[in-house]
Amino acid sequence: MMKFVLKNVKNGYRAGVISELGNQPDKTVDTPFCMLYTRGGSAPHLSRDVLNRLKNLPLVAHMPLNILADHHEAVRKFQHGIGKFAAMEDRVVYCSLHDPSTLVKSGYNDKHGVSVWGKGGKLKLDTELFMKIQESFQPDIYQALSDGDTDINSTRKRCIKVVDRTLSFLDSILDIHNKSERLKKTAIFGSIVGGYNEAERVRCVKETVSRPVQGFVIEGFFNPGPDTEHFQINECVNLLQKIIEILPVDKPRLMQSIWPPDAVIQAYELGIDIFDSSYPYVVTERSSALVFTYIIPTEETEGEELPETYEINLTDKKYFADFSPLLKDCKCYTCENYTRSYVNHLLNTKELLASILLMIHNFHHYFEFFESLRRSISDGKLEDLKKLINKPKKLPSVER
Amino acid sequence: MAAKAKHVFSLKILAECSTTKARTCLFTLPHSVVETPVFMPVGTQGTLKGLLLDQLDELDCRIMLGNTYHLGHRPGPELLEEAGGLHKFMGWKRSLLTDSGGFQMVSLLKLAEITEDGVQFESPHDGSIMMLTPEKSIEIQNAIGADIMMQLDDVVHSTTTGPRVEEAMHRTIRWLDRCLKANKRPKEQCIFPIVQGGLDSQLRKQCAIELTKRDVAGFAVGGLSGGEEKSLFWKMVTLSTDHLPYEKPRYLMGVGFAVDLVVCVALGCDMFDCVYPTRTARFGSALVDTGLLNLKNKNFSEDFQPIDKNCQCSTCKSYTRAYLHTMVTNETVACSLVTVHNVAYQLRLMKRIRESILEDKFPKFIQTFFTTMFPNKNYPEWAIEALKSVNVNLR
Ligand SMILES: [Zn+2]
Ligand SMILES: [Zn+2]
Repeated sequence: MMKFVLKNVKNGYRAGVISELGNQPDKTVDTPFCMLYTRGGSAPHLSRDVLNRLKNLPLVAHMPLNILADHHEAVRKFQHGIGKFAAMEDRVVYCSLHDPSTLVKSGYNDKHGVSVWGKGGKLKLDTELFMKIQESFQPDIYQALSDGDTDINSTRKRCIKVVDRTLSFLDSILDIHNKSERLKKTAIFGSIVGGYNEAERVRCVKETVSRPVQGFVIEGFFNPGPDTEHFQINECVNLLQKIIEILPVDKPRLMQSIWPPDAVIQAYELGIDIFDSSYPYVVTERSSALVFTYIIPTEETEGEELPETYEINLTDKKYFADFSPLLKDCKCYTCENYTRSYVNHLLNTKELLASILLMIHNFHHYFEFFESLRRSISDGKLEDLKKLINKPKKLPSVER
Repeated sequence: MAAKAKHVFSLKILAECSTTKARTCLFTLPHSVVETPVFMPVGTQGTLKGLLLDQLDELDCRIMLGNTYHLGHRPGPELLEEAGGLHKFMGWKRSLLTDSGGFQMVSLLKLAEITEDGVQFESPHDGSIMMLTPEKSIEIQNAIGADIMMQLDDVVHSTTTGPRVEEAMHRTIRWLDRCLKANKRPKEQCIFPIVQGGLDSQLRKQCAIELTKRDVAGFAVGGLSGGEEKSLFWKMVTLSTDHLPYEKPRYLMGVGFAVDLVVCVALGCDMFDCVYPTRTARFGSALVDTGLLNLKNKNFSEDFQPIDKNCQCSTCKSYTRAYLHTMVTNETVACSLVTVHNVAYQLRLMKRIRESILEDKFPKFIQTFFTTMFPNKNYPEWAIEALKSVNVNLR
């Protein structure tokens, strides 16, 4: 069963190691980390063959249930779980309830279950169906069914209700889980909900902690979806602090939809260990390449110019005849083989390869950022990294 | 005619079939040595639908197509020249072939009009009247820099009859001479003339003989596969190869269905291209020896085999039909996955053909191929006839 050990970090920052994961018992993951975002079980735009050309892939593949749930009958017949079904058998599979980049509509949950939004529209999951899917999928970790449908405007009554429901779901799930042969090696992450109501959040944490879960998912501050990019952690920082204070230190905490690097660092400092990587996908979908700097300058590189924005938009006509790579000195497959001019052409002609090349670069960049984050933690240089990250503006203006 | 110049474009015939007109050769081009018979995938805009350069390398694809009409418009010859040609622009190190742009102009633009000067058309972008002359076509193709360029030909629809066909044939020959004269990089880029003449045997023969008088590296057979009767199609193909020089490659334009490939190799063609394998992949259709698998079909939802268990492509190595079924209509990655397989299928089909010719077992290959494709032996009539003409009797 999954193990989490906090490393003894001298600088007072939290860093740990997850090991003994269900189907990959020999591999370990260092926290903080981001998972590999997938859609329908595959990295967006990237086949396994292409994905494996990335040198810094996260071990944990993040598979949101909403798109996959439709196919659970086929996966059940397949018998070897969702990881192998999706040609991801060499990764650890984490199943979340919602896709961080797909809008979750409000008002579709009740005491019997929770709605997720897949390709075929709404799918209502009660605990029985939810557990049937988990038994078919056999992930290494899954998020317990929860009602996270709250935001800053939710009433106290609503906050009580979501906590009641989520705890009741958790009890039913644990009941089935503990009897399941197929889920013997699978870990459960309990969901911490309760909107912006401190009492309810505290109740949810205390009750969840008292149950046999191996980690925690904190949600319910906003509806998942593309707008979460603009979510400011400052809006909930005090509450988040309170929640994390009463969570056990020896279990990992996961928070979805913490996207830009400044938000990641802020959430990490509050005590979050696991993040998702749908941000590079969202950036790819708007035809941009991430260019923010995560390399702490050495004496030689000190004084080099920093990019003005987190990303550049490759549809901008200024890249038409720009034969440089997306990002100077980037070691990704795209930057080593292609130019801004070529990607600009592929975008102008709406060629599929544009998304593939941008996705490779953006994944590479984001994964390297996490590598740099871990390194800066162990080297005691997080403050230096923060300075780099907080400098540029977020979005570029574009001339087409 | 000018004295035959020594150029890098050379054809070495490795083996010929003792029964049919098929042969297998090495065609040396500036950027690669191409083994024929060869299928050339079409990368219209300077990319092959969602494939990385390394993936094409790993599939051992040695030559692909670009479309002059599209590339001439976007990114345009000026940028391509600045980039150092399409090879550098797209990062492709092996060979390229470009068409003349004429065919697409005539088929895509309603207002195209052909005069002795060239193809006149209304710009789809600003509505101005523009002219694609043989010189202009070669100028753009020189900027693109493909190993093989196509002459601008006077395209008539394959079912057109009457004096227009004869006019087009003669004009095509005149335009060839203008193209050859306009080529600024004859050492790096060769021009293939195009045998025209519609469905008229006399005209086609006359055209082939006339074109043969020019010093060129190879020949294309054009004006076919435009919806004409298959019984006429194969007769024009075999007539063209009969009158083209034996020691030069023959490129049959726009042909790429598996059955057509097998038959036309038997009729003596060496090079083929078609958008079909990549286009059909986008709709979730995978090519196999028994025909086509439409992966959208519910039948595949619990089918845990690869698309083709004999295929070595990266898709067949990792993915099941059932998984692809969940993805085909939803995610772009499915398009790349099926495209990889379809390109691999076409290239492997040609490889199997080449190996069978080398071993002089091509007639046996044809029989096995047809039995697999048509298990009820309902072979198309035209294929039976065409193969009979080269001494293969399908059982
Ligand atoms: Zn890069
Ligand atoms: Zn295959």
